[in-house]
Amino acid sequence: MLRRILLPTIFLLLGYGFWQSDEFKTVTAGVAIFLFGMLSLEEGFKTFTGGTLEKILKQSTNKLWKSMTFGVFTTSIMQSSSLVSVITISFLSAGLLELSSAIGIIFGANLGTTTGAWLVAGFGLKVNLSAYAMPMLVFGVILVFQQARNLKGVGYVLTGLGFLFLGIHYMKEGFDSFGQTINLADYAMTGYAGVFAFAGIGILATVVMQSSHATLVLILAALASQQVSYENALALAIGSNVGTTITAIIGSLGSGTDGKRLAVAHLIFNVVTGLIAILGIYQLMQAVGWISSHLGIAEDNYTLQLAVFHTVFNLIGIVVMLPLLNRLVIFLEKVILDDEVEVELPRYLNKASMGMADAAVEAARKETTRLYDLAVDVITDGLSIRHDVFQSDEKIKRVVKQSSDVIDKDIDDLYERKLKALYGAIVEFVIQTRGGYAEGQLRELLNDIRQAGQHVIEAVKGVKHLRKNLIRFMQSDNDVIRKEYDKLRRLIVKVLREIDVVRTSDDPSRSVLSLDKLKLEIEEKADNISNGLEKLIRKQEIDVLMATSLMNDISYCREICWDLVEAGSLLFSSIDRDEKAAMKSIALDEHEIIEMIETADGELAG
Amino acid sequence: MKVTKKLLRKLKRIISAEQKVQAEKYNSLKKVLKSLRIEKVRLAAELEKTSDEQEQEEIASRLKVISVQRKKGLNLLKELKKQRKKSEA
Repeated sequence: MLRRILLPTIFLLLGYGFWQSDEFKTVTAGVAIFLFGMLSLEEGFKTFTGGTLEKILKQSTNKLWKSMTFGVFTTSIMQSSSLVSVITISFLSAGLLELSSAIGIIFGANLGTTTGAWLVAGFGLKVNLSAYAMPMLVFGVILVFQQARNLKGVGYVLTGLGFLFLGIHYMKEGFDSFGQTINLADYAMTGYAGVFAFAGIGILATVVMQSSHATLVLILAALASQQVSYENALALAIGSNVGTTITAIIGSLGSGTDGKRLAVAHLIFNVVTGLIAILGIYQLMQAVGWISSHLGIAEDNYTLQLAVFHTVFNLIGIVVMLPLLNRLVIFLEKVILDDEVEVELPRYLNKASMGMADAAVEAARKETTRLYDLAVDVITDGLSIRHDVFQSDEKIKRVVKQSSDVIDKDIDDLYERKLKALYGAIVEFVIQTRGGYAEGQLRELLNDIRQAGQHVIEAVKGVKHLRKNLIRFMQSDNDVIRKEYDKLRRLIVKVLREIDVVRTSDDPSRSVLSLDKLKLEIEEKADNISNGLEKLIRKQEIDVLMATSLMNDISYCREICWDLVEAGSLLFSSIDRDEKAAMKSIALDEHEIIEMIETADGELAG
Repeated sequence: MKVTKKLLRKLKRIISAEQKVQAEKYNSLKKVLKSLRIEKVRLAAELEKTSDEQEQEEIASRLKVISVQRKKGLNLLKELKKQRKKSEA
């Protein structure tokens, strides 16, 4: 309801403003151009997120101070704490970051965003920025039309900067002209009432523009032309700092639990910092005056003093909140709980990570690995293998022997609840992400992940088929058929364990290529059981009906094993993309394995 | 003259993205094949040492798989080499 009313109201107010005042038109056009510049700048930086930014992020966030420095540095370069927040949420949701590291980045981003105030106050308001904006726009637009991805990215960054400069210029012009007609400073309010009122305006302006940077430039431009009092400008800056969290909150709506926790952490940090600044505003003003005099800033240079204030109060926020970081993480984990749901939902997939190449691949890979783990539980249940024994160091023979009782679980229901929806979400995510990228290698990686998921699901479906006879014969009085089915169970358990070794081992000899040996073993063992069938029938140890069932189930078992091996190969291979591709090209397929067995049989017969 | 041609070829290699991808593929494959060769040597030594029949069978089977993998990989490597030469010509 509010949303429906908000947009027409803003339009009406703007329309009225344009009709009433040319200066208002210039200022708002400046804001619009500035925001467009921010969008263009974000677009440009996103072009470079196909690996570089992600790699830097992975390497520079393993310690808190590194995370904070990263936040300061990236926000200073990109001049958008919102973009950094959204990227951080996407990486957190993709499981590439710890919550505490992500909070560290957000703390740093808050400090980094203050560099914007310094740049604008120091240069932006003194230099004729439009003179720089024009060539930037011309070069930028030419580059945007280029085919090469990197050049296009540079083009967007240049165009973005050009529009930012142009926007600042118009805002400054507008406020300068304002001064000749009306004096907004007449509406200045003093005392705490004024501080709260202007902080509220700052929040509102930032929520509407979704950019604290734009609000800050607006405040600086107004302050430079003395349209707003220094005290009120400080309150507006505090408000803009609180209002900026709205972007992170919107960004977190489509993300997982951790993304929401981070957005709340951001809100808590900025609200606490804001409250400290509001309550201590007069003391802070004195401190700013003292610092400014030491930095050689003139007493009447209020714009630079605002930049000092912005930095000081964000620094105070960090100093206050940093010792409470671990408690904050615990609090957030307590308050925002992981969803306990009937149907398993994706944990790592979200719209935020879809826009970042590496994050999208990592999210899809983690989710499919989770699907694999859940499937292993369903498979062991389906084969009536006790989880505790399966996970122990017991030998495979003992694992199967100790799992002689049927585990009474509804495998169809488990499949529907634990796997089907999750697999559907992975497929949807991969298809949507893949559509957004033309890069061949990335598409291939996403395809591999989707295929791995499909193999996992096929394996579970195979177990569902196998289970029908397995349960019957596990309870049979016929020892022979029971033992034959135990052989099938042993083979599947062996495959699961071997995949686990490849997954967890650092030994290069246990790479996915070592799974080819397992493929050979699957074929040999399945052949052995099949070949033994005739003998069992001849000796009348099993009847024909049992033999037919077993024959079908050997085939199911073989397919289950192959599907698991294929899924393992695709999911747990080398992290290095080129090495992964090389291993994939060497790995032996079904035909080559069968050919190997036939050659060996031929040699034996010869 | 010869130097210029060589330089041109080098420049072409730097500029061509496709050639770069091919070179990366080639190098990765070479690296994987090398690790397989090391593994093969290690297993062969292990096979000589062990007297346990079951273990011997297991190692022999692994060696067989590695041999087939290497054969496949070497053929691929040859193919890649040919492609590289062709695109450089």
